Amino acid sequence: MEEKPSKTVLRMSVNGRPVEVAVRPSWTLLRVLREELRLTGTKKGCEQGDCGACTVIMDGKVVNACLVLALQAESKEIETIEGLGTADDLHLLQMSFIEKGAVQCGFCTPGMLMSAEALLRENRQPSHEEIKVGISGNLCRCTGYAKIIEAIESVSPKKIVRHSPHSDGY
Amino acid sequence: MQNFQFYSPKSIEDALDFLSDKGDSCKIIAGGTDVIPGLRLEHLCPAHVMNILEIRKLRGITEENGRIRIGPTTTFTDIVQSDMLKQNLPLLVEAASSVGGPPIRNRGTIGGNISTASPAADVLPAVIALGAELELQSRSRGTRILHAGDAVEAPYKTQFNPDEILTGILFKKLPQGTKSAFEKIAQRNAMARAYMNLSIVLRATDDGNISDLRIVPGAVEAVARRVTAAEKILLGQKAEKNLIDKATETLAAEMVGVWIPEYKMPVLRNVFKRVLSSVL
Repeated sequence: MEEKPSKTVLRMSVNGRPVEVAVRPSWTLLRVLREELRLTGTKKGCEQGDCGACTVIMDGKVVNACLVLALQAESKEIETIEGLGTADDLHLLQMSFIEKGAVQCGFCTPGMLMSAEALLRENRQPSHEEIKVGISGNLCRCTGYAKIIEAIESVSPKKIVRHSPHSDGY
Repeated sequence: MQNFQFYSPKSIEDALDFLSDKGDSCKIIAGGTDVIPGLRLEHLCPAHVMNILEIRKLRGITEENGRIRIGPTTTFTDIVQSDMLKQNLPLLVEAASSVGGPPIRNRGTIGGNISTASPAADVLPAVIALGAELELQSRSRGTRILHAGDAVEAPYKTQFNPDEILTGILFKKLPQGTKSAFEKIAQRNAMARAYMNLSIVLRATDDGNISDLRIVPGAVEAVARRVTAAEKILLGQKAEKNLIDKATETLAAEMVGVWIPEYKMPVLRNVFKRVLSSVL
């Protein structure tokens, strides 16, 4: 019986909190988030970087958590959907997704939201095309994408200003 | 995924020491977009995996002595967002922007695209068309320079030695007036492997004669290369229609075979004509 390599302690920050967890070298960040930290908002889809269900933000950039070895996340800052908003305190993007009907089964939604959030941080007023590129790493089997794009467009300040003079506090 | 030992050096020196000892049983990982699926599918079962993302010197875009040096762990996003590269090596920016989607581009690296040596690579053919040189280091051989066009021996096989690490990709700045273009044919606009891609670099003198031409199709042969037979038709000439047609047919004749069946030829011809027209 093959001996398993011993575990190494991984130290990183998750949703603003320091985390220490013992991991095996072959584990991915996705496995650590879901199985060790019980943050199951990040979904397991294809496990090969093709579907985007596992999209998280690492050091400010969207990545597929299934394509990061856990130990590569040492000292990094990870943001997951749990850090974006909660049921009692929904993020503007989450409210928009709900209002626009951008959620059907919901499986792609955490990844979509993280990609949308990362996009809006870099480009506060993305064009229709830029939104499409921004979510091009996220597959959705249910919605046909139109409502998702509308939901992201509708948190763009241009749209908000049309209806209200108040800023959204981004 | 089979078990392995993980090592994450902070310096090139430490990486070289490790490879000189364990290179034969070690897989280097950077962005992991090719390596992790390979480990998961057990195409790769190394005893050791060496993470090079913590070696700061391996990432970045700098100018030295009129040449552009790109570190191997420079991501596709780094390349796409570089104003310096948009100005000087737009072909590389176009090729890099065609890879995957944002999460892939934030991790995937130029060194990885070269080292994986997939026949369907998007960035490697552009690197070849730009005449880049690859800097490799090892304890046994010191530093050696390899032309990008000589790097790949066979699909998924570079001629890098097990104790070697790619430490830089070096590009000459293109002379003023050089034009380039890239096209990728794939099943989707993003997140798709190329069925075919084409990189062309062209420079014409003031009187309209073509003084430099590189044509590198990708994803159509086992190993991407410049199609010099087609380049020769147009070199030194003005690009008139009859010559474009002749170059197209020469390209087609060179390419048809095991890897690119007859039914793909009309696509290759059209892509070539379209990309070539855009740089004339």
